[in-house]
Amino acid sequence: METPSLWVMQQILVTLILLIQSSVAVNRDNFKTCQQSGFCKRHRAMTPGQSAYEVITETVNVQSTSVNLQLLNTVTNVKLTLELSGLERSTARIKINEVEPIKQRYEIPIGDVLVEEPKRQGLKKLEQTSQSLTLGIEKNKIVISFKPFRIDFYTEDEPVVSINAQGLLKFEHYRHKQEAQPEENVEEAKEGEEPKEGDENAEEKPAEEEQKKDEEEPDLWEETFKSFTDSKPHGPSSVGLDVSFPGFENVYGIPEHADDFALKTTKDTDPYRLFNLDVFEYELYNPMALYGAVPVMMAHNEKNTVGIFWHNAAETWIDIKSNVADKNFFSKVADFFKQDSDIPQTDTHWFSESGVIDLFVMLGPKPKDVFKQYAVLTGTTPVPPLFSIAYHQCRWNYNDQDDVRNVDANMDKFDIPFDVIWLDIEHTDGKRYFTWDGNKFSHSVDMINNVASKGRKMVTIVDPHLKKDDNYKVYADAKSKDLLVKNKDGNEYDGWCWPGSSAWPDFTDPEVRKWWESKFLLSEYEGSTNDLHTWNDMNEPSVFNGPEISFHRDAKHHHGWENRDVHNIYGHLVQQATADGLILRSDHKERPFVLTRSFFAGSQRNGAVWTGDNIGEWSHLKVSNPMLLSLNLVGITFAGADVGGFFKNPDPELLTRWWQAGAFQPFFRSHAHIDTKRREPYLLPDNNMKIVRNAIRARYTFLPYWYTVFYNTYKNGGPVMQPLWAEYPEDKSTFKMDDQFLIGPSLLVKPITEQGGTGTNVYFPGANDVWYDILTAEKYLGGKSIYVNAPLEKIPVFQRGGSVIPRKMRVRRSSGLMHDDPITLFICLDRQGKASGDMYADDYHTFQYQKGKYLHRQFTFSNNKLTNSNADKNGVFETKEWIERILILGVLKKPNGVAIKIGNQQQQLAFGYDPNTSLLAIKKPGTKLQEDFVITLL
Amino acid sequence: MRTLHTCFIILAQLLCSSITNATIGRPRGVSISMASLYQPAEDGTFTCLDGSSKIPYEYVNDDYCDCNDGTDEPGTSACPNGKFHCTNAGYVPSNILSSRVNDGVCDCCDGTDEDAGRIECVNNCKELGKKLREEQDRTRKLQQEGFEKQKTFSDEGKRVHEEKIARQAELEKERETLEVTVKDLETAKLEAESPETEAKDKHQKAWDELKAERQAKKEVEAASLAFKDLDTNGDNSIDMQEIIARPEFDIDSNGVVSEEEAKEHLEDKESVDYDTFTKDIWPHVKDIYKKPTREEPPPEVDPAIEARGEEAQTEQIEPPAPGQPPSPPDEVDEDGEYDDDEDEDDDNDVDEPGVNDQTVPTVPITDRIEGEPELILDKPSEEKDEDSMPEYDEETKKLIEAADEARKNYDEANSKLKELDNELSSIKSYLEQDYGPNREYAILQDQCFEYTDREYTYKYCPFSKGSQRPKNGGHETSLGNWGNWAGPENDKYSIQLYEKGQNCWNGPDRSVKVHLKCGLEHRLLSSSEPSRCEYAFEFETPCRCSQPSGGTAQPHDEL
Repeated sequence: METPSLWVMQQILVTLILLIQSSVAVNRDNFKTCQQSGFCKRHRAMTPGQSAYEVITETVNVQSTSVNLQLLNTVTNVKLTLELSGLERSTARIKINEVEPIKQRYEIPIGDVLVEEPKRQGLKKLEQTSQSLTLGIEKNKIVISFKPFRIDFYTEDEPVVSINAQGLLKFEHYRHKQEAQPEENVEEAKEGEEPKEGDENAEEKPAEEEQKKDEEEPDLWEETFKSFTDSKPHGPSSVGLDVSFPGFENVYGIPEHADDFALKTTKDTDPYRLFNLDVFEYELYNPMALYGAVPVMMAHNEKNTVGIFWHNAAETWIDIKSNVADKNFFSKVADFFKQDSDIPQTDTHWFSESGVIDLFVMLGPKPKDVFKQYAVLTGTTPVPPLFSIAYHQCRWNYNDQDDVRNVDANMDKFDIPFDVIWLDIEHTDGKRYFTWDGNKFSHSVDMINNVASKGRKMVTIVDPHLKKDDNYKVYADAKSKDLLVKNKDGNEYDGWCWPGSSAWPDFTDPEVRKWWESKFLLSEYEGSTNDLHTWNDMNEPSVFNGPEISFHRDAKHHHGWENRDVHNIYGHLVQQATADGLILRSDHKERPFVLTRSFFAGSQRNGAVWTGDNIGEWSHLKVSNPMLLSLNLVGITFAGADVGGFFKNPDPELLTRWWQAGAFQPFFRSHAHIDTKRREPYLLPDNNMKIVRNAIRARYTFLPYWYTVFYNTYKNGGPVMQPLWAEYPEDKSTFKMDDQFLIGPSLLVKPITEQGGTGTNVYFPGANDVWYDILTAEKYLGGKSIYVNAPLEKIPVFQRGGSVIPRKMRVRRSSGLMHDDPITLFICLDRQGKASGDMYADDYHTFQYQKGKYLHRQFTFSNNKLTNSNADKNGVFETKEWIERILILGVLKKPNGVAIKIGNQQQQLAFGYDPNTSLLAIKKPGTKLQEDFVITLL
Repeated sequence: MRTLHTCFIILAQLLCSSITNATIGRPRGVSISMASLYQPAEDGTFTCLDGSSKIPYEYVNDDYCDCNDGTDEPGTSACPNGKFHCTNAGYVPSNILSSRVNDGVCDCCDGTDEDAGRIECVNNCKELGKKLREEQDRTRKLQQEGFEKQKTFSDEGKRVHEEKIARQAELEKERETLEVTVKDLETAKLEAESPETEAKDKHQKAWDELKAERQAKKEVEAASLAFKDLDTNGDNSIDMQEIIARPEFDIDSNGVVSEEEAKEHLEDKESVDYDTFTKDIWPHVKDIYKKPTREEPPPEVDPAIEARGEEAQTEQIEPPAPGQPPSPPDEVDEDGEYDDDEDEDDDNDVDEPGVNDQTVPTVPITDRIEGEPELILDKPSEEKDEDSMPEYDEETKKLIEAADEARKNYDEANSKLKELDNELSSIKSYLEQDYGPNREYAILQDQCFEYTDREYTYKYCPFSKGSQRPKNGGHETSLGNWGNWAGPENDKYSIQLYEKGQNCWNGPDRSVKVHLKCGLEHRLLSSSEPSRCEYAFEFETPCRCSQPSGGTAQPHDEL
């Protein structure tokens, strides 16, 4: 939505802070480089080589589902404890902590990110020698090497993941601050160097080298960035580890970055940074941190797909390098590496400011296996209410209730469907969330009801900063109950945001979340109704006058944890509490919808995410595809970019192309900055308006398919918007492709993102597949790139031969008016004359589906027979939706007749056939979606 | 491009065998006027209204779209391009989009669009019809009344228009004669001015020479006095010791006059005699040298203050206490710098050779600070007479008198011409202004209207500008200046555009669209800002009222 720029500019007059920045690019100075971050510098300075750590063999303790052991740092003599456990579905978890820390280290509570304590699975002890321990987990092998310490994972005897193979494990144990130590003390420490067994406290015995190094290092006990000083009361606490992927050239994930989908080597740049920040007018194609963080990476090649999840909420940096596998090492274990040519390998290096090392290794071996493995850990997006996957109309700001009424009426006048109209910060009484500007929105309930009378919804923004005003009851309540984040001295944290001086509820505290949830009750949020949903912005959090525009790292959360420990999950927990609040409001009946800007692993459970304050330029349209692919890959499926671009005034061509692209991205919302010209679709020149209207209508016709895809990802994990390799894992030419993508398994989309573009090369995957243009029914053979004309009115979208896609061709004013409408099945036959697909349906808005009130139907076409059967016997639901039409593409000759059989009743159906497009149209089977039938082409 | 959409329709080519038919009532969603087109043909078919295909009659309203033009489904939502006719008995009939049929929203007041049980619609056509008639009556009355007023405005506008044209002709004629007069007077003026200038120049030159002479004399006197004063041992020459004894010659301000310093003042000589002193040394030391002080010196006029002019007048209320730096003004930065600059300038002035303290100000100051004569009056007056130029001789005076007379005559005539031109140009712009088809809007010229909301008072001056100012004080912001009529082609006079107002930070220049509507008074009704810095005013005026036509869309009572 918005950024601090405007506010900052206003503040210049008052504070004389100079913010002379170009209005078109990020002010990089506001954000740290690795060089400006003490721990980043320290970890990055390490050079790959033999690790200082070895396994203390006598501590190795193998149990049925886990191995425990201790690691010794041979340089510092500090000991660490390691637990490797086997988890269900070929997943392993490695936790490394201090043996006896002087202060407990932060671990993310179960439920915040992980849905539950992961279920364990047996580890088979295959072999233990003095050098190593070999374990089996399903079809995979895990080898723990003792001296030096490393762990290697093998799938079918091929190495796929190596831990500490580069020797970069570094664990800054908590220590007491050494007050300018006299020389003799150092001497003493040196004498007592010999390691003791057992319970020694690491900080008492630093080896001389480390001690000296520490003294030279200036950033350990205090760090300064710009005018901000981080008091670092607990000193250095970072942890780091390298993870290599032998055999893999490509790694993906770790959003959010405005960068390519296939991650790039960071040899000549900063590492990829994960630290939730409000970045004004972000730059493209660099590793700078943005609003959210998902520390999940996947590696993919023709044979295998693996993933890792770095379960840590602190600031994290990731270096990526291309390498070749160490054949010497691996040849000892497997024959595979005896070949001559080099095996590519990608090395990654992860380091976080605090917390523990808690790494999940997901062994695949196929993309969908990894998706499922990750889904088991952090969950999936519950089936969104139908309206939320339709079209959203937003702007900063719709000025008042008349404005809302007019936009709503104009959309109807121009017959452009939409489902939700949004209100940004100006709707409040002085940026006090949960309130209304009484002059502009004097009758908010009437306003919402008027919008809802056409099946639509509204969304208001609720940010986590609370105006410090004792007459503002939300703040006063939070203050009196002591629910607010504190500064390092234990007083209420004070920062500037939209309302001026503000405070922030401590969402890391479950009690605070409970309190927040109650604020959404209709009795609490005056002027709201059940048709009002929520938008969480600025939840990184954005603090205009804070370091890097966010909290101070030494700000305090509950249990005394510092923001440095929990920073990256704060925004995620804001959204979680908000979604739970909306659920509470309807007494667990209605599904909530909450959009968030900041997020973490697991945020997919709470709603939608958007890519923040983008710019209305072609380059930002283009980058929306890789950014959304990265988010989808790591489970954040319900993601979108502001259609049109938040800043600037794009021309009608760019707007048109953006609406077309957005119509085929998961979260579809247009949005614009308060300083931009109005750009509701009906304001476009007539020709553009019509094209945009068609794009939005196309979205509505595909809603049953979108809904089904969302349901399937809810059940199985994985992306809604997919990279081609997710469906074609062996097709190497797709590995770096991020300008085209798949929606679900069957729709191929290549948005036009070039100014003046009138066509594009589309790669049609699958050497044995065929693809059909959804508009013209033109047929394309897979396995090659083909130039496709795409004048302004056309967005290149293709349906895979072999698929059945359910659509609703009666486009209404909103999806809410389409619940009962009939279905058209679009069937594209493959080269064998077969096709299959499914459709999921329920009541489209309540949680009843989680209690078995749903329908999941399977459509199969083969041997000239189409069957509609139940795909899931657990689901029972009566729907009014009926099948109005069946279109089959790829029928080679006109049938003599078409007959439908329902139970024992057989009946002829009217049909038409067009030999030019090999299209067979069957009129009105007329059956309810839930009715089994067989249709035969005679 | 053949699209899949048209492919849906291919079924229409199907022929269906046996359909018995009888005369069937008007199908759902068809208006009476179209009913005849929906009779089944003899062979039991229906032909799509665009003629594109023939389908079995039973396909009409079977909730499946068979016709390209959507005409087979007038009563269902099956066709994407279809229309549904609501009779709306008691109100106005309407055709709604097929997509609004049976979607759970009542769109027709008779509720006929919803027959699928999704929603119960109440027939409220009668109430709406009643309201509509009342509204129409009100509007008609308003239009009629407003139109009467409009006519008077229009007559007035036309009358003024005629007047202006007549006046224009009159003025143009007048101008022709006046232009000749002005030319003649200008010639006369130039003739009178030439001898006047010559005489004045001569007088001035003589005076300048006299002044220079006096000045030189003064210098010599001053040098001689100084020589006497400095020559403490009376040996008719000034040596280094005599210089060293005088603290004002301390160049580096270290409290002592060194030999080097003394030498420098004496231009590397051990001693100088009277002639050398007056000629070579005096010009360099006269500003350093301090006269023996016996009595209070006259208040020194600080050239810095004078030079600062207006600003010094208003800000430097109290002179700084001697020996102290000037107290910092409130706005430190700018003024501090400004002062510094001025000081430097002062130094430069002082260092300029040959400029006498006392003669500096008069002439240049009057040039620099127009309209601030007080400074000059403050000058010590005894020197004034000596400094003023003597009166002109009689002959010159006469020449001046003659020239003054010629100038006056010319100026008078010329300003009359300018006045005339001004009036002409204002008439011209009035005549060129588009005051509406009947010049009815001319009445609004030179009027302003205000509207006040919570925060601002908005001001609308038709054909001139729009502006706003905060209610609780603060200055006016221009929202735009008169641009043009900006209504749509068929209704040009519905909107006025005022543009190029004050620029918005990070945005466009402000502008206002004024939406005009019929009303009995001129009244600014509202102001809003639909888009950042693009304002919209609503203004009612009789000028927008038009004569109500006889019979407009009347609610009908069809059953």
